[in-house]
Amino acid sequence: MSTLKALIEKPALWLSSESEESELVLSSRVRIARNLDKRSFTHGASAQVLAEIRDESKAALADCPAIAGALVIDMDEISESDRMLLAERRLISLEMVKNFLHRSLVAVPDEQISIMINEEDHLRIQSFEPGFSLQKAFERIGGLDNEVDARLCYAYSEDLGYLTACPTNVGTGLRVSAMVHLPGLVHNKDIGQVLDGLRNIRLTVRGIYGEGSDIIGNFFQVSNSITLGLSEEDTVKNLEGHIRKVLEFEKKARSVLLKKARSLLEDKIWRAYGILKTARLVTAKEAMSLISAVRLGIGLGIITDCRLSTLNELFIMIQPEHLQKLHERVMKAEERDRARADYIRARLC
Amino acid sequence: MLCQFCKKRESTIHVTNVENNKVRAIHICAQCAEERGFDELKKSNFAMTDFVAGLFDSAFAAAEKGISPDSCPNCGTSYSAFQEMGRLGCSQCYEFFQQQLIPLLRSIHGNTRHLGKIPQRFARQVSLRRKARGFQDELELAIQLEQYERAAELRDEIRKLSESERGGGRPCQR
Repeated sequence: MSTLKALIEKPALWLSSESEESELVLSSRVRIARNLDKRSFTHGASAQVLAEIRDESKAALADCPAIAGALVIDMDEISESDRMLLAERRLISLEMVKNFLHRSLVAVPDEQISIMINEEDHLRIQSFEPGFSLQKAFERIGGLDNEVDARLCYAYSEDLGYLTACPTNVGTGLRVSAMVHLPGLVHNKDIGQVLDGLRNIRLTVRGIYGEGSDIIGNFFQVSNSITLGLSEEDTVKNLEGHIRKVLEFEKKARSVLLKKARSLLEDKIWRAYGILKTARLVTAKEAMSLISAVRLGIGLGIITDCRLSTLNELFIMIQPEHLQKLHERVMKAEERDRARADYIRARLC
Repeated sequence: MLCQFCKKRESTIHVTNVENNKVRAIHICAQCAEERGFDELKKSNFAMTDFVAGLFDSAFAAAEKGISPDSCPNCGTSYSAFQEMGRLGCSQCYEFFQQQLIPLLRSIHGNTRHLGKIPQRFARQVSLRRKARGFQDELELAIQLEQYERAAELRDEIRKLSESERGGGRPCQR
């Protein structure tokens, strides 16, 4: 499909550029959940209602200046592997890969802003930014939200705010998250205490691939969980403040590590870089762990001939559907390990 | 719905837990709950967090009061269907199941009142009410401090605000 091809021809802007604290924060994401008034929420809606909601939402979004030139992809018009490809790019959820009838994606070509229609909520609007830029992502999404509000009738109650399918999102419907890289805290074993602290103040911590995913490559996704009783601005400000503290701990841990075990650390980082540049077979999990070490090397100034943005792009490009799309065929796991190693070598040369 | 423990009797206690932003429900009959005691219940494979324990009180109270299991008139979703799925049926469910949802929302968010953004069609009405609420808090303080002149001013402000406020958001004409 031509629109899909246009989308994946180049990496998303939030991966290929760098911003504040990019050495410690891979990306910032903001999403809001919105529903249309008095209509059944997606999971219980009939095919006819879903089709109506999709048509109305697409028409309203097509009219919004904030996303002029956006691509529209109907999930029931593309294959399962193409849907999986979009999920690997964080444009749709895994849930939408499975439940695709009357679902659509609207996304601007640089992927900084995208909308899922008929996911858990009728509209899930999300914005990505490189590095630690929660405020910027929040501002961008607010502008589009106002434009959609002028065109559609949102489900809202004065007491409870924006009404969502799951009560965990009611109120602002806002989820703000940052993907932080904390190898220093993992190494000095303070990570458990830091994560417990975050959970105690009702923040959610997950792995790199979101809900239910393992912690791999020392990447942690930290997000707010409270959406009722706190304004959007305070939600963003609070999360920003807490993450900033975690980043300070990480910087301290890194400098202690460098002081106490420089040779060991350098050896680990250079070995990882060496493997990535020479290996012929690499599993996704191993690649993540090696990339994590090289990323730390760049952050500490040990590796100077590799860009952070290249490593960021690898996260997306070494996933199964992306490798298969690149080779235009379905591959077995071992073939993919070979293709992954080839791709990484080509990018790091 | 049958009790999850004995699988024989009808469950009368329904507790909803939120973990990792997922809503999960437990359904138990009064006899099993009594036999097992709350401590046993907490040890069950159903992950419990401290704040959920507080929900038992409201679950018992709801069972005693015999809150009607009726369905939402707009979409037909019942409260037990919500507990099963963790998802409400439509925006009207929030109003219909308000009594059951309020303790749940308090346990999830620690709050039951939205303080954030307001859609355009509600903007005037909600900002007036928020302003009035602020004046009301100030009025109570002024009375406590025996600042009766200020209290009278605030009372007049509140009256003016309530006169200019018209119930309900602007009807949606889109």
